[in-house]
Amino acid sequence: MSFGKINRLARRIALATALVLAIPTSFGEVTTEAQLKAAYLVNFLKYVEFPGTRSTINLCLFGRDSLGPYLASYEGRQIGGRELHIRKVSSPEQLVDCQELFIPDTEEARVAAVLRWVDKQAILTVSDSETFTRDGGAIALIRIDGRLQFEINAEALNRANLKASSQMLRLARQVTGAVR
Amino acid sequence: MKRASLWIALLAAFSPGLHAAGESLDDISLEDLVKTDITSVSRKSQSLADVPAAAFVISADDIRRSGAQSLPDVLRMAPGIEVAQIDNGRYAVTARGFNGRFATKLQVLIDGRSIYHPLFAGVIWELDPIPLDDIERIEIIRGAGGVMWGANAVNGVINIISKHTRNQTGGAINVTGGSKGTGDLYARIGQATSDSTSWKLSAQGRHIEPSKLADQSGESADRLNSAVIDFRLDHDIGGGRDMSIWANASRSKLNDAWNTQPNFVPTLTLSKLTPQQDAHSESLVGRYRWLSDSGIESSLQASFTRSGVSITEFLAESRNTVDLDYQGRYAIGRHDILWGLSYRSSSDEITTNEPYIAIAGRSYTQSNTGIFVHDDWTLIPERLKFGAGIRADQTSANGTNYSANASLLWTPSRTDSVWLKYAQAPRTSARAERDVSILTGVAIRTSALGNTPVISYSQANSNLGPEKAQGVELGYRKQLSSAVSADVSAYRYRYTNLRSGTQTGMFGCSPMFGALLDTAKCGYFGLDTTPPFGTPVLFVETQTINGLAGWSDGVELSADWMVTPNWRLQLSYSWNHLKMDSSSNPSINTHAEITERSGPHQYGSFRSQWNITPNQQFDLWLRSSGGFDRQKLIDLVPNTSTAPTFSHVPGYVTLDLRYGYRVNKDLEFALIGRNLINTKHLEYISDFIPSAATSITPTWLLSTRWNF
Repeated sequence: MSFGKINRLARRIALATALVLAIPTSFGEVTTEAQLKAAYLVNFLKYVEFPGTRSTINLCLFGRDSLGPYLASYEGRQIGGRELHIRKVSSPEQLVDCQELFIPDTEEARVAAVLRWVDKQAILTVSDSETFTRDGGAIALIRIDGRLQFEINAEALNRANLKASSQMLRLARQVTGAVR
Repeated sequence: MKRASLWIALLAAFSPGLHAAGESLDDISLEDLVKTDITSVSRKSQSLADVPAAAFVISADDIRRSGAQSLPDVLRMAPGIEVAQIDNGRYAVTARGFNGRFATKLQVLIDGRSIYHPLFAGVIWELDPIPLDDIERIEIIRGAGGVMWGANAVNGVINIISKHTRNQTGGAINVTGGSKGTGDLYARIGQATSDSTSWKLSAQGRHIEPSKLADQSGESADRLNSAVIDFRLDHDIGGGRDMSIWANASRSKLNDAWNTQPNFVPTLTLSKLTPQQDAHSESLVGRYRWLSDSGIESSLQASFTRSGVSITEFLAESRNTVDLDYQGRYAIGRHDILWGLSYRSSSDEITTNEPYIAIAGRSYTQSNTGIFVHDDWTLIPERLKFGAGIRADQTSANGTNYSANASLLWTPSRTDSVWLKYAQAPRTSARAERDVSILTGVAIRTSALGNTPVISYSQANSNLGPEKAQGVELGYRKQLSSAVSADVSAYRYRYTNLRSGTQTGMFGCSPMFGALLDTAKCGYFGLDTTPPFGTPVLFVETQTINGLAGWSDGVELSADWMVTPNWRLQLSYSWNHLKMDSSSNPSINTHAEITERSGPHQYGSFRSQWNITPNQQFDLWLRSSGGFDRQKLIDLVPNTSTAPTFSHVPGYVTLDLRYGYRVNKDLEFALIGRNLINTKHLEYISDFIPSAATSITPTWLLSTRWNF
């Protein structure tokens, strides 16, 4: 390939990239479903009691990360006196120090495997897969009648040795299992 | 050079503006969150942010709101996917160039089952593989994906994932009717028999009346009748084990109009043929997934498919295919390891209408055994991931082939990712390419002997081997704000051993041609050679060989912008350029020219989805493609040159509209207009099989969806 061609190709790539970057970033902000999900994930941390006294709190995102960009601005926030960190995880070893774990519905096929990784650890599991609480997860985010609601599996919380506040339980659309 | 620095300056100018993805919903309480209405247009996560490849996802919502009634029409929204409609049911669909009626370099999987046809290579799109309403999402990954998806995933793979049956309980009936005699029906019943078991049965039928021929000589014969029945059962065993069973049967009847039946006496004339095409496929698929105590995730899928195509006066094929596929996954430490074993055996029985088309061997069984391993290795947590994989395929007709890939995914921030990928993949030769001899074209050559018809005859080559592709890709994905995301990718691939033809001989059927007279060969075609004139026709014999090589360069762009919560815009643009090597063999140079000119250099799509009110939707879709040239298979205009002649397919811009009205959550009406800008346009001129080109005309459809 001659230099001229490389140059032409490079110019096209540069043009396309510039077009991408040129899309304005400061349009009126829109509340998207992804943003709502991100807000839920951060909020849950305020309503659940985690054992131990650490200075940080880690929100972990499993697999194909679709919420990461929407959570970026929460990084470093103080939640109940702890600093929030957001991390990506893809294997059981990486779950050490996770307080909350989000499994996106596109990873539905792997829910059982991931739930086994977290078994009996003090990790709050959340997913936007509709059947997540039935599959043994703690909280499912479900879109119903144009709103994003959540369901709680109290037994999963018990197994993880986590305690949800009464306010959170009251706001849940459905709570299955006995609250300890 | 100056311009290059201008671009760099431009890039730098934009860099400081790289904000995080929008503001957070600050300190909003849980109480408020549960009350927040989502009016947003997108339902599902669209991104494949962590994939080091050019990827695009089409959701069920996108499919419904596109107004498209067939699968290839849906695929038009993806960057890098080139879709050209041939007639009511036939489409040419490819990724990144090399389009054709039998586009060979795109793999298509439905829930892991390949629908790539082992006889023709490519997909028979007129045979609806699954009702559109049963699709959960379509994941499109462009670029060589041989390691994960096996041979033939050369330019890309389309993964169609069907809905889980627990999301399809109850009944549904959709009826669509409109102009051009379009009538579509979809019906479904489903039930969750317990917490862990659910099933659904669905059926879809489509009918369209024949199109107008592009040359305005009347109607084509492409009356489409297609039907598909799909059953799925899911059972969750517990403990990370589940099983699914699919049973699927589809059939399509779609006739065709060819201008090709040659009569040589007294002079060459071509009469019209209207072959009747009937295709069917029946599949039974079972999948079992389990989780071992050590944490290994496994999936075993077995499928059996019986299929067939018959085209009257051309060929009849029947086929049995068995597929076995195991995949394992183990995530440990910083590694995420995937591996798999697959076996496929496909047996056919084929009869052809000689001498027009002949096949070597009435029946044949081709097999393929593959093994692969792939690892995703996190080098720096949150920042840098390295992926590498290799696959070996042992095939009955193409020897042993290797696929490989290596990728780097760099995420400098949560909102940016940059990936670099190298991949190589083989494309195994299909049965028809190895074993079929066929009349491929007619031209009239002017010489000292006057005007002589010259027939091209392509002969089988049982030694035709696999094609190879390898290349590099670079991509950048950016979430600019909570409402705007975009990605751009660029690639450069090198193709070698591409199928082409070389001239192997020439003969004539009149004693006037002297030494070129071949009584035996002319006899095979039923042509008289008795003196003094015989049949004044020349045959050019060619043979398929792996003779062509070249480069493919391209850039793809897609952007997604939620302008307001109720209004979403999506843009995709693709540019592709093929440059074949020149050869000392003139036949290969001819093939190179045909290949380079055979597809559009650029195409794009612009979609607007607007929720006017919670009950009303207005969607708009602008689609466009550049023009290109197709070789004339039949050219009865006398020519002194031996160079191929071309027909031009002009570029086009067209528009689809949809207005949807939801009466309540179970009943919806939609008015759909498709191809509205021009009174007619041409998208493709068939290759290999000389179907008469048809006009794509505006259609209006009224659709009702009722859930119960």
